[in-house]
Amino acid sequence: MTKYIMRRLLQAIPLLLVISLILFWLLQQVSDPLATMGGRVPPRPEDRQRLARQLGLDQPIHMQYIYWLIGNDWTLVDRDGDGTPETPGERRGVLRGDFGESIMVRGKPALDVIMEKLPNTLLLMFTAEIVIIILSLAIGVYSALNQYSLLDNVFTAFSFITFSMPIFWLALMLLYIFSVNLRNMGSPIYFPSIGMYDVVAGPTLQQVAWHMVLPVMTIALISIAGYSRYIRSVMLEVLSSDYIRTARAKGISQNRVLYVHALKNASLPLVTLIGLDLPLLLGGAVVTERIFGWPGMGSTYITHLDRSDFPVLMAILMMISAAVVVFQLLTDIVYTWLDPRIRYS
Amino acid sequence: MAAKAEPISLRPQSGARVKPDSLWRMALRRYRRHRMAMLGFFMLIGIMLYVVVGSFIFTENYANFNDTTQRLRPPSAAHPFGTDSIGRDVLARTIYGGQISLIIGVLAMLVSITMGTLIGALAGYFGGLLDAVLMRITEAIVSIPLILILLLMAKVLGGRLADIELFGRTFSGSVIVIVTIVGITSWTTLARIVRASFLSLKEMEFVTAARALGVPNWRIIAGHILPNTIAPIMVAATLGVAGAILQEAYISFFGLGVQAPTASWGNMLNGANQYLQSAPWLWFYPGLLLVFTVMSINFVGDGLRDALDPRGDKKL
Amino acid sequence: MFKRATWILLVLALAGLLVAPAAAQGGKIVTVIYDQEPDNLNTLYSNMFFMGITDELYLPGAWSYDKELNLVPELAVEIPSAENGGFNADGTVMTFQVRQDAFWSDGDQITAADFVFTYEMTMAPTNSPASRSPFDTNVVSVTAPDEFTVVTTFNAPYAPWAANLWGFVLPEHVLRPVFEAEGTIDNAEWNTNPTVSGGPFILTQWEAGQFMLFSRNDSYFGGAPLLDNVLIRFAGDSAALTASLANGEADMATFIPLSDAQMLEASGNLTLELVPSGYNESWYFNQRPGLGNPALQDVRVRRALIMAFDRDQVNLDLNAGLLTTPGSFWENTPFANPDIDALPYDPDMARQLLTEAGWIDDDGDEANVANDPTFIPTPRVAQGIEGIADGSNLSLRYATTQRQIRIDTQAVAQQALARVGVIVELFNYPGDVYFGTVAEGGILSTGQYDIAQLSINPAFPDPDTTRFICSEIPTDTEDGANDAGVCTPELDALFTQQAQTVDTAARIAIFHQIDAILHDLAIWNGIWTDPDVWVYNNRVLGLELTGPNPFWNAHEWDVAQ
Repeated sequence: MTKYIMRRLLQAIPLLLVISLILFWLLQQVSDPLATMGGRVPPRPEDRQRLARQLGLDQPIHMQYIYWLIGNDWTLVDRDGDGTPETPGERRGVLRGDFGESIMVRGKPALDVIMEKLPNTLLLMFTAEIVIIILSLAIGVYSALNQYSLLDNVFTAFSFITFSMPIFWLALMLLYIFSVNLRNMGSPIYFPSIGMYDVVAGPTLQQVAWHMVLPVMTIALISIAGYSRYIRSVMLEVLSSDYIRTARAKGISQNRVLYVHALKNASLPLVTLIGLDLPLLLGGAVVTERIFGWPGMGSTYITHLDRSDFPVLMAILMMISAAVVVFQLLTDIVYTWLDPRIRYS
Repeated sequence: MAAKAEPISLRPQSGARVKPDSLWRMALRRYRRHRMAMLGFFMLIGIMLYVVVGSFIFTENYANFNDTTQRLRPPSAAHPFGTDSIGRDVLARTIYGGQISLIIGVLAMLVSITMGTLIGALAGYFGGLLDAVLMRITEAIVSIPLILILLLMAKVLGGRLADIELFGRTFSGSVIVIVTIVGITSWTTLARIVRASFLSLKEMEFVTAARALGVPNWRIIAGHILPNTIAPIMVAATLGVAGAILQEAYISFFGLGVQAPTASWGNMLNGANQYLQSAPWLWFYPGLLLVFTVMSINFVGDGLRDALDPRGDKKL
Repeated sequence: MFKRATWILLVLALAGLLVAPAAAQGGKIVTVIYDQEPDNLNTLYSNMFFMGITDELYLPGAWSYDKELNLVPELAVEIPSAENGGFNADGTVMTFQVRQDAFWSDGDQITAADFVFTYEMTMAPTNSPASRSPFDTNVVSVTAPDEFTVVTTFNAPYAPWAANLWGFVLPEHVLRPVFEAEGTIDNAEWNTNPTVSGGPFILTQWEAGQFMLFSRNDSYFGGAPLLDNVLIRFAGDSAALTASLANGEADMATFIPLSDAQMLEASGNLTLELVPSGYNESWYFNQRPGLGNPALQDVRVRRALIMAFDRDQVNLDLNAGLLTTPGSFWENTPFANPDIDALPYDPDMARQLLTEAGWIDDDGDEANVANDPTFIPTPRVAQGIEGIADGSNLSLRYATTQRQIRIDTQAVAQQALARVGVIVELFNYPGDVYFGTVAEGGILSTGQYDIAQLSINPAFPDPDTTRFICSEIPTDTEDGANDAGVCTPELDALFTQQAQTVDTAARIAIFHQIDAILHDLAIWNGIWTDPDVWVYNNRVLGLELTGPNPFWNAHEWDVAQ
């Protein structure tokens, strides 16, 4: 097992390198972080040229990539613009944990920019994921046990609809119904439209939970569709399998058959789904975070994309890619734990 | 439309080793019995009629005609779906926008199917270093969240292409941009499926026999193995159209999609949150049509999967 | 198993939130909401509008502008002028005194040394400020002959000094040690956490992506502030701004779409105020040879394009009737020539001008336009125009950014121009692509457009600009501000002359000449005035919002109880 994990981790290295090359090249094409500097008037040409030099943006792309990867503290950079490099570089490169400094938030390491937002995204994601797991298990099991019942058909129809919905449209509908309309109808209870908590009330548990309702609902509704259908079909398959029939024949109680034997086997594919989805959710909530003003990684990505702040964009994308690779491995490990028949050598 | 006609037209091309007539006929029979699939099929016909017949009722000029004095009017007899922020008729725009969205969906699907099949076939058939390189690239693309990479590429390529003339109509160059970026990011699943079938099929007797006879590689790939992987490709193609339509909507929502004034369901939703409260008809109707279309294509794709591969993996 | 782990994580995350300090503990508070978060809090390192207005809260300057755009002293005892000896005889040396009762919030006195330090930091080769203007181009030296005297020496008389110089000073006692230790202040902690303030407020908390909280600085030299806190929140888009103002979550905001602003004002609790900022939305025609459409070299074509487009109607409908069509780049300032009005909307005249220029309606179908408001004639064709093949159409690329109002305006203009036989292709770009450098293939710099719509201001409230001088035309390698390629010897001479004319009346006269040329050659073509649109709750008192520095009197703000 250890050997297997080691091999997988070794395989991940070239993969992440390929990803970083593709992304770095793409990000260089995006645009010019110095074009507006966020102002309403483009900066003067002389300031742009100076900044490009000082921030290392005038280097050829392969040098920029090398500096990004292994840093530039082994060489000299030209800070004062006299044409000869004189100052030792200060970047240590990604391999030593330095993702460079944000161009937009000057002087702030890209990693810090992300780390400020990561907990908010994790909070939203984990809550959503829990809601998704519980509800889709409930719906999936119910539907499997009551195949073709009225409720099963309702769930089926519902999941097909949400599955086909762009998430932003769902978010807009929910906002319209539960924030705008409830308030307009004079309802004392309505959900806040943006932010993570009311600043004056402070970040209390109640505030955050209240602000989280609509974004979590948005993410959950979209995902429950796929998950619950999946659980339903797996449960149906498991329930009709030989060993469940044997268990029933042996007189083991219906509940025990269902919740211990059937569910345990049905959860196997669920683990795969979650394992693959979880890291993608980190970035996948771009739309939800943007619409609900949630200060997480997704909205950070959009803000920094607007300014072509590629050190931060690169850091976000690489972190998610690394998370995907790690979660794939974790999924495989959890698999062996859930199903002792599977062995990796 | 495409989903139903294709199986029959493919008959003469199928390999000789299987009995194609009975296979396709059986699939068709199974498809007809699939209630959801038939529902999806008729829904799709409805959408087609809407965007095609609609364009005989309203001209494209009318769909783009603006009158700022009539801006943001709620639905009325003159404008059943209301008017938008510069007084264009939303109903007419959903018709022409639907055409663009469907065209994008189909073209992007073609790009992604071509790439996926080609890459999967090459990797699976030749194996070795080529396989390793192609699969690493595939994994790399899978590892990056789609929406992030789409937005990135839309920004890189946006606004670089001039308008194009096609069928006597002018299309914004951005349509090609969207088709390209959606196409080249969504082939990975299919590539893996095709590679897997190639891996198993290339060891089969009829392939080794063909090879022994000196049949060139490309003919073995195209003439012998590929026809046997047509089922998953068709399913992926159908679902790919739905995916591409959704992705166009996402890109457009962030303002990087199809260039105005060419309408698409996606770019009609751009800026919708500005009018969340004051003009809900602006985002409600195009969104509803989009959901309806994507759903019907999903039904069709689902039915196709069940019909073509009855014992296959029934996700959803 | 999975569930338990996630529950634990969730509980931990929530616990983390609970121990975070509560943001504001009551008192008098005004909440401002921005649709962008400032990227930095050291003015040296940012060009952002929202940064530039926020720094008034904690960074003092020598002077600021009041509501009538008169200069009022801040740190300076008196505004320098030739009369009070602030300028020497040839206008190249400016001297002013710093008031002796001004202190930083940690007790250090604000002195002339802070001014000299600010100059040094701007020019230090190891620092990478957002801009060195105008120190690098116009200033020879900044010295402090004594503790409270600042002497700025220019290389030539510099008329725009007030708008471009000494808007802020940095605290030397905080940043000098950083500079000495690290050789640069690029990474100084103070840049993002300016806990030492010289203004009426002091930053107490900045939650990235959410808010900045400022508390009162009782030692402010301008007088103790009336408010306890100023809270600045961030929202992702203008829809969120509108919503927060409507439900009272925020007290004031700017950059509100005009129709929303009007709706908000109608609710009764909010006031809409248009504050002139010097910005005016306009069309620029690309006259760079080989890049812009050659037809645009003809002034008749340029005039025809503007006259075919009903800008007043756009302002009436899309801008809620609140904005007007400006006739001058310097609209609403004394520098605008009062005898000049924007070209009128006159499509028949536009057609006639196009015909004169050699663009003819060969099939005569434009006669139908008058009868049918939806009729789109076939495009006009060239006939006998030098350098343009006979029979080709007049087809123009119309590029702008992705703001909704601009996208809407484009579509309206496209239709209006189609009705005079001109084809227009529309392009929208993200701001950083649109304004990108030559090297990055920026749309404006590399001239990939025929009509560009944008809003640019002079060095407001000073009229100086480099947009219309020949040397500022970008080349294949060099960037420049004059991307439309405007180049006449006359304008060049007048712009050089005005920059060195310190006498205001004489300078105004020169600008009236410039304005007349820009108008006659149809170089600058206003679409709408682009003031800052502020909406504020009526409970906020004492606001004196200005274009250059809206928060200049924040210490006088108050709230009705």
